[in-house]
Amino acid sequence: MDSVVVAEKITKTYRVGVGRARVREMTPPPFDSALSKVFPKWWWKGTFNALEDVSMEIAGGSCVGIVGHNGAGKTTLLKVLAEVTAPTSGKAIVRGRVAALVDALVGFHPELTGRENAFLLGSMHGFGRKEMASRIDDIFEFAEIEEMADTPVKRYSSGMSARLGFSIVTALELEILLVDEILAVGDANFQRKCIEWLEGYRKSGGTLLFVSHNLGLVRSMTERLVWLDHGRVVEEGPTDKVLPIYAQAMERRDGGHRVYNRKATKKAMESRGMHRWGSGGARVEEAHVNQTRPDGSALEVTIDYESDDVANGVFCVGFIDESGREIGAAISQPIPLDVGKGAIRCAIDNMPFRPGIYFPVVAIVSPEGEVRDRWRLDRAIVIERNGHQSVDGFGAIELPSAWSSSESTPRVMGRTS
Amino acid sequence: MYRKLWRHRDLVLSLVRRQYQLRYRQSMVGFAWAILPPLATLGAANIVFHQVAGVQAPEGTNYSIITMAALVPWSFFQNSLTSGVPSVVQASSMLTRIPFPRASLPLSMIGISMLDLSIAALLFVVLTYLIGDGLPLTALWFPILLGLEVLLVAGVTLLTSSLNLFARDVKLAVPIAMQLWLFLTPVMYPLESVSESLRPYYLLNPMTGLVESFRTVLISPGAAPELDLLLPTIIGAVSIFLLGSWYFAATENRFADVI
Repeated sequence: MDSVVVAEKITKTYRVGVGRARVREMTPPPFDSALSKVFPKWWWKGTFNALEDVSMEIAGGSCVGIVGHNGAGKTTLLKVLAEVTAPTSGKAIVRGRVAALVDALVGFHPELTGRENAFLLGSMHGFGRKEMASRIDDIFEFAEIEEMADTPVKRYSSGMSARLGFSIVTALELEILLVDEILAVGDANFQRKCIEWLEGYRKSGGTLLFVSHNLGLVRSMTERLVWLDHGRVVEEGPTDKVLPIYAQAMERRDGGHRVYNRKATKKAMESRGMHRWGSGGARVEEAHVNQTRPDGSALEVTIDYESDDVANGVFCVGFIDESGREIGAAISQPIPLDVGKGAIRCAIDNMPFRPGIYFPVVAIVSPEGEVRDRWRLDRAIVIERNGHQSVDGFGAIELPSAWSSSESTPRVMGRTS
Repeated sequence: MYRKLWRHRDLVLSLVRRQYQLRYRQSMVGFAWAILPPLATLGAANIVFHQVAGVQAPEGTNYSIITMAALVPWSFFQNSLTSGVPSVVQASSMLTRIPFPRASLPLSMIGISMLDLSIAALLFVVLTYLIGDGLPLTALWFPILLGLEVLLVAGVTLLTSSLNLFARDVKLAVPIAMQLWLFLTPVMYPLESVSESLRPYYLLNPMTGLVESFRTVLISPGAAPELDLLLPTIIGAVSIFLLGSWYFAATENRFADVI
């Protein structure tokens, strides 16, 4: 299919600071470009590029994800593509009805009721009153807030306005939808409903551009990925290729905190985003994870440790998924530790994990269960689809199973063969 | 800009409706707010200008009538401007999320002021039959003059509402500017009471020609507007309209960035 979204060398420059009377902004074209040529130093002072030379294309009916850390320019890119703001240079071509769902507020007026807001938003997207009137019941039914339709939006909870915002967008028959992390709000049920709707929307030929920090969602929803960093495209390609590199880079960025504190509790440390904690006495010095099979389903982990005076240790190699959930671990028997430095090796022959990205954690625990050193490594392992069926929504563990055809027993499911 | 606006004419209507719905929500006297301001201004003008300062209406007319005839178009001008100037800034949550034609925001404020205008105009008609000599046939000029005023109001509002986005000084300056402008426009006194030497300067103000023309056509016996009064207004209104539209259209794609 042809490209429905084309970004050509888009650069978007913002000015930093509040500023007083903003002469530079209020100068209308063509005088602004004249001024910028006469006083270039003053003109470009205090500016930064939220986007720099960003080019991309999105084929009709595809789903493309945008990832990047905070401030990478993801939202700016969506706003430029939605024509909310104009690029400083470059061109955005969008063919079809487009809307951006930048956040949960979607531009509601707080004093208006949900119904009035729905009509207003509809007319902003070019829908007349009659067209909206025929959809309004569906909107509130989808949002599951029928009883709130005639209450001002200011009295809505944030979850309710997010529901309403998403529901209005579902009614607008858009050809291109730009979604920015909106699925982070609302309860699990509604999130699932949104994802189901988005999947249906894609099957019916809709194009989706999707920003999320939830790598699991990105992996299951998108087929291509654009990785932005400081306004530039770092990597662009199929999700299967780009996501692992991105995930590893993110881990490297965030990781590396070393904390030793006898009183440190797990909860306190994790809530502070620490990737390493423990009571000490024995420490992991270095850990290497080698994927010994190309699809990632076998691992060898070597742990170099150092022990002060601890005689025994239980070694753990665990895995966390993209959303931070602990999935499973290999746990040793108590092992006598050498005082001073030592090394231990762990081989996992068959990872029972389904395709995805996992982050290894290594730990030394006392036989009584006291965590001496627990370290979330700054790397990711990828288990590929090789030989696995890609089915979403069944968790991270693939159970060992044997399957046989039931054709010899025709009574199964009442089917006759 | 206007082509895009025409395609989104439903939006302008919705915005007017929104403003209408919002206006009297959680207020006590509600609809009476449409009649109270012009009546109060008329009362104050009667005391200050007519009784204290001794301003007299021309022979054969009533001071209240000539003042009301000017207050009706003046209030429209003032209401449009005071609500139109902050309208773009107030819509920041929509501005940064939805790519709708931005001009619909200030222009819808003119729409809502139009509703106030019709109520004030009704009040004027009632007054003319109560204490004046009724409406003359030349009152049919009213829509034409109103069209001219809308052009002027749209130009000023577009210009000031977009400037207000870049420099909030504009919003702060509006009340004082409106007050001065009111005193320098023959609203609470007739143009006849202005000395001959000052009149040419008075005519530089496009509102002068407008309110005087409204008086001419609305008050019995009624006459067609004088061209030498109206001409400066026509030139002023058209050029301000073009200037305002141009500036708004030239800068509107930056609104989301600077808000």
